[in-house]
Amino acid sequence: MPQATLERPEIREQVPPPRSGRRSTLGAKDRTFGFMIALPAVLLFLVIAIFPLVSSIGTSLYDQSLLRPERTFVGFDNYALIWDEFVARLGTTLVFASLSTVFPLFLGVALAMLLNSRMRGRTVLRGALMLPWLLPGVVVSFLWAWIFNDSYGVVNHVLTLLGLPEISMLGNPVGAMTAVIIAKTWHSFPWIMVVALAVLQTLPSEQIEAATIDGATRAQRFRYISLPHIAGPVTLVAVLEFIYNFGNFDTIFVMTGGGPGNSTTTLAVSLYHLAFGSYELGKASAMGALWLVLLAIISSGYLLLNRRLEK
Amino acid sequence: MRRNRDVGEGIIRPRLSVPGRLGLIVLALFGLLPVYWLAATAFTKKEDVFAQNRPFFPVDPTIENFIGFFQNDALLKNLGNSVIVSSGTALLAVLVGGLMAYSLSKFRYRGRNAIMFMFLIGQLIPGALLLISLYLMLSSAGLLYTYAALILSFTTFTLPLTVFLLKGIMDGLPDDILEAAKVDGLSRTATVFRIVFPLVVPGLITAAMFAFMRGWSDLLFALTLAGPDKQTLPAGLTQAFIHEGTADWPALMAASLITSLPLVIIFVVLQRYFVSGLAAGAVKG
Repeated sequence: MPQATLERPEIREQVPPPRSGRRSTLGAKDRTFGFMIALPAVLLFLVIAIFPLVSSIGTSLYDQSLLRPERTFVGFDNYALIWDEFVARLGTTLVFASLSTVFPLFLGVALAMLLNSRMRGRTVLRGALMLPWLLPGVVVSFLWAWIFNDSYGVVNHVLTLLGLPEISMLGNPVGAMTAVIIAKTWHSFPWIMVVALAVLQTLPSEQIEAATIDGATRAQRFRYISLPHIAGPVTLVAVLEFIYNFGNFDTIFVMTGGGPGNSTTTLAVSLYHLAFGSYELGKASAMGALWLVLLAIISSGYLLLNRRLEK
Repeated sequence: MRRNRDVGEGIIRPRLSVPGRLGLIVLALFGLLPVYWLAATAFTKKEDVFAQNRPFFPVDPTIENFIGFFQNDALLKNLGNSVIVSSGTALLAVLVGGLMAYSLSKFRYRGRNAIMFMFLIGQLIPGALLLISLYLMLSSAGLLYTYAALILSFTTFTLPLTVFLLKGIMDGLPDDILEAAKVDGLSRTATVFRIVFPLVVPGLITAAMFAFMRGWSDLLFALTLAGPDKQTLPAGLTQAFIHEGTADWPALMAASLITSLPLVIIFVVLQRYFVSGLAAGAVKG
């Protein structure tokens, strides 16, 4: 029918272009195909991530050990037994996770600001500063353990040469915590630097130019133009970094093993020791379940932020 | 995020002030000196490291520490395992994640949003929380202490990044191309492998790179799910060298350098894909 053919192009033009692929020719078979190709990933995720998460809550209600085949139901006994330890380890975890987020944040943003200026060798320097982030966590930990080594470490060597007293980092609680935070800071700052730099480079140059002509100082330009521009994405990365640090295992496990005493035993290290040191799977799972509650709270913060930024 | 084309390299960027330069030097030294120390120690003789007035560079450089690594059967085995596990992870992640990304990008079906949400949440779950259940599950499935245990676990945890990275790129593919493939009689499966994937090769490379790094660097799962025989380098290093008091530091630094080298080479070769991928992964979740 002529009318129909006349109408069609008009309708097509009124429909806004789809953001991503809601195609008019998409039939039911296409939809089925679309779902089928998502299936391997979804199944993998359900089996390897979601199911263990749920099943560990079940385990937390049993007295279960790797040394015995059978398990007995004990209700919430495990929670009562590990509560004090959980609270203590949570404190340590919060200290480690927040400081290992704040320092890389400052360092990364500062470096991004500095690297965003005109200079020779900028690209090379930026590439070189990515190196710490590339190294596996284990290597980073061994390296800093060596740097802070009491007898032969380079830090104490330099202090001796300068006539200053040596320091024992890994041998005392405060020193050990400082050392793992420094190591983690060194490992993480490049990530924040790269994100901040990428966002800074999307800042229209006219804004800076106009502000400069209007007599804004360097500090003012940072405070009122650059900082608000990068605040959103950088905050998001910082929250992610905090969540990752909260669950960090390798930095602490390799450098201090949680010691001296329990001064650097975070939840992840404690859970590992409980499960694979004392084989107490039930108690370790109870610790994990309490951790999961906290994670849910922090994650909702992340999701809210993520949604707000996407708008 | 749209990159502003007016922001050319250094057109308007101000030069650094003197305090700015000093600050940059200090921060850059903090970033780079430890890397130098890693390399310097690796090329130093063991006895020189413990000498009273040792210099800050290897005066009498040696490669004995590297030779030691390649004469250590356990570490060589770990290296081989690392290559197998990381490559397997990269391949599987790109295949499974690529299909998933294509599905999310170009198809609409019930449960699509739920799946996206699950993956967004999934990247926040720390490995330690899943460790016990994974161990028990793999154990009863007879998969404990196998390559598959590691590859499947690592793939799962890189999937969110892989999927969101590739979905972002595939969103930019015009639907017309897919229509054309359909009109030309290409099957749906062939369209994926002969049209879609070839068009997003840079994205696939970036995703493979991140997955490889994830598999290469992990310690927790390598320590618990792999067993002595399938253990990768990070776990192997830990077991070989963790007795700090007696550690042979130059040997450890040489082994660390060897462990890091593949990642550095990958970074140098693929640097241009890297930064965009990192930013996309971080900001878009």
